[in-house]
Parts: sequence; structure tokens; C-alpha cells
Amino acid sequence: MADTERPWTAFYGPDMRADIETASYRNIGDLVRSISDTHGKSPAFTACMPNGMNGTLTFAQVDEMSDAFAVYLREVAGLTKGDRVALQMPNCLSFPVAAFGILKAGCVLVNVNPLYTAEEMARQFQDAEPHALVIIDMFADKIPAATKGHPIPNIIVTRVAEFLPTLPRGIIGLVQKYWDKSVKPIEFSHIRFAEALTAGRAHREKDRIEVDAYHQSIEPDDIACLQYTGGTTGTAKGAMLTHKNLIINMEQSLEMIPTICRGEEVALTALPMYHIFAFTVNLLAFYRLGSRNILIPSPRPLTNLKRAFENYKITWMSGVNTLFNGLNNEQWFLDTPPKHLKLSSAGGMALQADVARRFEEITGKPVLQGYGLTETSPVLSFNPIGKIRDGSIGVPVPSTVLRCVDDNGHPVPQGERGEIAAKGPQVMAGYWKKPAETAEVLKDGWFMTGDIGVMDADGYFTIVDRKKDMVVVSGFNVYPNEVEDCLATHPGIFESAVIGVPDPSTGEAVKAFVVRTDKSLTETEIRAYCKEHLTAYKVPKLVEFRDELPKSNVGKILRKDLRSKAMSAQAAE
Amino acid sequence: MVGAFEQALLAAMIFVIMLGMGASLTPRDFYLALRRPYALGIGVVSQYGFMPFIGFLMTIALGLPTPIALGLLIVSCMPGGTTSNIFTYFSKGNLALSVLMTVTSTVFGVILIPIVLLVYASALDLEIPRENIIATLVILLVPVGIGMTMRRLNANAGAVTEFLGSALALFFIAFIAISWVPRNWQFLLTTAPSTYFVAIMLGVFGISIGYIFAKSLKLHPRNARTVALETGIQNAPLAIAIIALTFPGEEQQPIMAVGALYSLFIVMTSTLVTLIFRRANTAAEQKIPDSLL
Repeated sequence: MADTERPWTAFYGPDMRADIETASYRNIGDLVRSISDTHGKSPAFTACMPNGMNGTLTFAQVDEMSDAFAVYLREVAGLTKGDRVALQMPNCLSFPVAAFGILKAGCVLVNVNPLYTAEEMARQFQDAEPHALVIIDMFADKIPAATKGHPIPNIIVTRVAEFLPTLPRGIIGLVQKYWDKSVKPIEFSHIRFAEALTAGRAHREKDRIEVDAYHQSIEPDDIACLQYTGGTTGTAKGAMLTHKNLIINMEQSLEMIPTICRGEEVALTALPMYHIFAFTVNLLAFYRLGSRNILIPSPRPLTNLKRAFENYKITWMSGVNTLFNGLNNEQWFLDTPPKHLKLSSAGGMALQADVARRFEEITGKPVLQGYGLTETSPVLSFNPIGKIRDGSIGVPVPSTVLRCVDDNGHPVPQGERGEIAAKGPQVMAGYWKKPAETAEVLKDGWFMTGDIGVMDADGYFTIVDRKKDMVVVSGFNVYPNEVEDCLATHPGIFESAVIGVPDPSTGEAVKAFVVRTDKSLTETEIRAYCKEHLTAYKVPKLVEFRDELPKSNVGKILRKDLRSKAMSAQAAE
Repeated sequence: MVGAFEQALLAAMIFVIMLGMGASLTPRDFYLALRRPYALGIGVVSQYGFMPFIGFLMTIALGLPTPIALGLLIVSCMPGGTTSNIFTYFSKGNLALSVLMTVTSTVFGVILIPIVLLVYASALDLEIPRENIIATLVILLVPVGIGMTMRRLNANAGAVTEFLGSALALFFIAFIAISWVPRNWQFLLTTAPSTYFVAIMLGVFGISIGYIFAKSLKLHPRNARTVALETGIQNAPLAIAIIALTFPGEEQQPIMAVGALYSLFIVMTSTLVTLIFRRANTAAEQKIPDSLL
């Protein structure tokens, strides 16, 4: 079995496939239909609110409702195959219905972070040009500013308590409207999600529409999602992920966790599904397994997860370092660790060894760390069950080759550092409308990750550094350029440089070095200014004032000098 | 001072509130509190050790007239009241522990109240109305049990009951405080300042000392908050019932004064303390960045 190009296959489980070249379904529409037929009456998704109020949709309901939404998009909104539909919401029951509906209709799903500011939304909308947007009411107030100059023709508004039973839905609605005032009145033309489904159903009845006909024409290589990532340059780029990319990556991920059983699992989805990790691993893979998926609209504060852990027998969860570390420090979690948990999967950012160890002590079950990028749907590697190596991102998943290469793209000898290049059926088709940027990262069929890694003799990989300057805050990419651009618009700032510094809670934190023209400008004012223009995680956590910044002889600011200084200062402490 | 109808109404309200409180609990919460009975023991010591002693010290220090002193001692010897559970819930304390503490101090009260009163008020022959004790336990445990069962059978029914119960609880607290004053206006005008002082300070001292004691024994902040409220909040209606049963008509009024005033002020004190505790709880919460999480 051990093959010379892929020494890691020796660490695959006995029943594990080393190769998954063809997807088991032609497209995600087929997958949803087939799985829904098998598991019909079982609960598929349960949205659990912090107070325990909840609503559940069965596989059959998700199938029927997503059909209705597909019909709405095609027949009422008039969309055709390949049209983009943006989806902007936290985890709630509308998410799977809308996502599957979009994909069944043959449209392209564009996930949008609901916490984005209007400016950030506008940039993504300008690039993706969506024909429709499904948005949660809590953030709909940003729409007028975000669509100014490039209106989105169809706006469908949903709510976090959508599809919950009437009484809890009513209570949550009243609380959101009158108590915490998180929902503001909507003053632009839109349709409610539930009304859109009703309209879709009516059309389906009247015109006897077969939804299968929409997705029968979808080929495996057709684009399913535009998943946005800032890339190296900081301009938003949409990674084109095909149906095949996502379906195969889902299967590659499942292959790494053979102890997870079909139809028996209860998965906790506390990570947002608009992020590629939860999208592929939680939404697709656990739907495929016929599992019940417990959706948490917001895991902040972490006590929001308490009722979910109390009321459901969670057997699997995914998380990022921040989430595992947070749970390790919650008294209620220590008092009543989940009894039924089989294992947890970590991704999104480096999992700290002591966080993983502590979580394993508390729950008695392992945390498997994986690695991947938006461009790779996302999973490239995972630690195999029972063969975890601390601090390692594990071994490449089936049909995937990782290697470390030098600046010319030539493989470096085993044990030496190099940029990780990846090849596999999960690698994206390219960046949306950006051939030049695509060519920079896709070279001879290899995707250049921009991460510097090292492979040991067994084929386990470890990330040592990042080639790119980007800062990863809790699994989210922050591009120094974008933060610096924002700082540059402040009248009291002369210039700035932004780097990432290690942070115990978020992995990395954004640090800005600022040269002021206005000497009275304070750190608090700068942070407040950034907060107006940037999502919270991009706002510098630390601001240091400098008289000048280190520059190269052509005048380029040397971020790496600042970084090494910050590192040595931190090491000295 | 409170009519039969009002009493029945209050009992019904407490029943619904406790139903909601119960719906926030699971058997596991009780199991956890019982598995580590340390906090429970601390609670009993606070309840029957500190509270009567605080009452006793105040009678000595202020040289209170006999009926007032007697009233104060009786209130300070009472077990924890049901309202302590409500305030614990809002303070984000350990509700299961609070319920268990109320039950324990009430059950132990049958023996401990006469003993403590004997120690501090020497050979008082008080009648402890067992039916009131039983009623307290029933009105506490039955709805909590039903609430827990509801949640187990249907998480939504539980969550809705909890929501309605806590909304009613807020109304109840406001109702007690607002309706009390006009009903007892005359009484308020004729009461001596020292009586006011002890009625207010019994709760304030009780909560403070309970908290300091629990913290010094390294209880988790959640449990320390619970012990504090449980210690300071007494079952004042039980005190009033005991006085009514034990003393003839004309003697009753001055002895009851402390209990009546205490019932008003403890609601205000506890509301304030709850706000402080909630703020402390939020401040101690982990800060989770709003990106992936």
C-alpha cells in the first residue's frame, strides 16, 4: 500500500480508500435528493437558541422546502443556471433550505459573512454580481448602503427563528424587536423567505415542475459556490468551487473519520456554515451521513452552547482553537462534559497542543486537527484517528498529494521547509473573473498554498510559517493591505504597517504600527475609526506609535522587520 | 396584613414562577450539587449560624425594645425563602444549589429553628407550624419537578415556560415592592427608625457575610452568589405565620413589624445585589472574538 510519492497512505485505516477520484453524486442537488429519500422522516437540522427554544426540519422537509425555493428562484425570480445567489446569515434552519435550493436550481451559491460591514458587502457584491440575496433580517439594514449603484434584483429576508414552532418563534421575534432591538424595520422592497417558499410551491403545483430537471443538467465540473477569500493581495477573490470539488472533499473528510456512523450521529454546528470548513464538513458531510445537525446561531457567549449540550446527545463536533479553548475554560462544560461525544474535528486555524490535550482530558475523546484552505474546498489533510501527532496537521486525505517546494516550484528534500503545494480533486477551478491571480496560485496542476511547511519521514505535515503576510485571527484571514488602506483614510495618520502577532486567544492578533500627523490621536480613537469601516476581527487589537517605519531602498514598508522585532520583543518578555 | 385572596394569588404566582425555574433545570444539575455537598453545608452554616448571630448582635448593639428584638430574632432564624431561588436565577447563580439549599434549610428548620431561638432568646416556647413548612416545600418542589419534566419531554415547552416564568417573576418582584407600600402606609409612618435599620440591614449583612464566607472557602463565583442570596433572603412569610400562631392579637403587631418591613426591603436589596452580580458575571465571561465564533 505504501507508495513512494505518498508515504502517508501507510497511516490510513485498514478500510480506508486511498483514492476517491469520482464523486458519488453528479451534483449536490442529486446528493440532497438521494439522502433525503433514504432518511426522510429523521431529523436533519435542529436550530437551538441559547434559551433552549428550538425547531427541527426532517430530511424530507429540507428536501421539499429546498425544492420550493429552487422553483421560486427559477420561475418567480427568473434566474437561470449559473446565476449567483448570495446567502448571508448565521446558522439557522433557513441556511440549509436556501443553500440546497440554490444548488438544486443550478445557481451558484455565494456565501457572505453576515458580520461584514456595508463596505465589505458592497465589494463582494460588485465582484460576484448576485441576482438574488437571501439575508437575515438582523443585518438587512446594511443593504441600502451595500447595494448602492449596483442593486440586487431579488432580496429575500429570513429570520433566525424561521421554521420554529409558532410560540417560540413569536417570543423570539418579540424579544428581537422590542427587547434587544436586534431587528430593525426594513425599508426596501423584499420578500419574506416563507412567502418565497409558498410562491415556489404554488408554481410547482400549477406548472407541474420537476425540480430534478433543474439539476439534471448540472455537470460535476459546474461551479457550485463562489467562496470569497482575500488571497495575498487583499482584494476579495471568489474561489470557484465545483460540485465535484465539494462532494469529493466531503467524502475525503468522511474517510478520515471511519468511527462516525451513518444515521446515528448528532453533530454540533457552532461554527458558521458560511465558512467553508463548516459548509463542507458540517453541512454537506453530516447531511450525507443522515445525521442530526444541531445549529447554533451564535456561540458567543459560550454559555449559548449549554442548552444544546444538555438537550441533545452530541456525538461529534467541529471547532477552531478559540472554541475548544473557550469550552476548556467554562465551568459548566467541565462539570458536565458531553457524555456521548465520539470525537471532534479542528480546523480553520492552528490548534494549540495544550488546548487539544486539555479538551481530550475533559471529554475523554480526541480532537483531530486538519488543514485546508478556501481554495481547496477546504480539507487537504487530517490527523488519522488513533495516530494523532501533536502540532501536526496530519496526513493528506485520499487522492491528495501535498509536497513542500522551493521558490521555483521544485520539491525540497523531505524534512526541509518549503511552500506547501497541493494536488487533488478538491482544488478549485480558479478565482472568479481573475485569470492572473489564478495563474499565480495554480501552477502545473499544483495549488500553491502560501504556507510554509515541513514533512516528516512518515508523511505527516507541520506548518512552520506563512509565506503570505496575512494575519489569521480565529480562522479568518486579515489582509494587512486592507487594514492599512483603512488607516490611510484617517486624516491624523501619516502611514501605517500592519502585521500579525501571536495571541493566546485568537491565534494571531492584528497589530498596527502607526506614524501620526496628529500627535493627540489615541489608540482608542484609531480602533474606533477602524471599527466603523472594518469587521471587528480586522480591527487592530494593538496599536503602536512610531516616528518612522522600516523601509526597503525602494520605499516599500518592511513588514517582516516589524514582525521579527515584535517576535523578539515578545520572546524577551 | 395580607388578605386570603392576595395570599392565594401570591402562591399561584410563585407556583408559575417556580414552574419556569424548574424548566431551566435538569436532574444533572441536582446531581452535581449533591455530589459536592460542600456548598450545601456552607449554606446551612450561613443560614443557621450567621443569620441568627447577626440578628442577635443587632439587638444588643441597638438595645431594641423586646417585641422588636423578638421579631428580628425570629426572622433571622428562618430558613431560605422561595424568592432566593428567583433572585439566584436572575443573578446567574446555581439554581439547583439554591433550590437544594432552600429545601435543606426548610427541612432542618423544624429542629434548628427552635434550638437557635432557644439559644438566642432563651427558652421561648414557639409554635412552628408544620403545615406552613410543608406548604413551602410543596410550593417549591412540585412546580420545579413539573417544570423539569416538561423540559425533558419537550425542550420548547420547557423554554417557553421558563421565559414566561421569568417574565412573571419580574412582574412579581415589582408587584411586591409597589403594592406593599400603600397597604402599609400607616404602619410605615409609625415605625421607629431603629426598626427600619434592622429590617434593612439584616438582608444586607446576611448577603454580604454569606458571600464573603463562601468566597473565603473558595466556592465558585456562581455558588458564592447563590450562598449569599440564600443566606440573606429569609422565608419572611413563615416568620409572620409563626408569630401569628404563637402570640395573642394585640402583642402580634410590634413583633411582626420587622418581618413585614423585611419582606419589602429584601426585595429591593436583592434586586440591587442581582444587578451587581449580573454585571460581575458578564465581566468574568470569556471574551470570544466575533469572527469564526
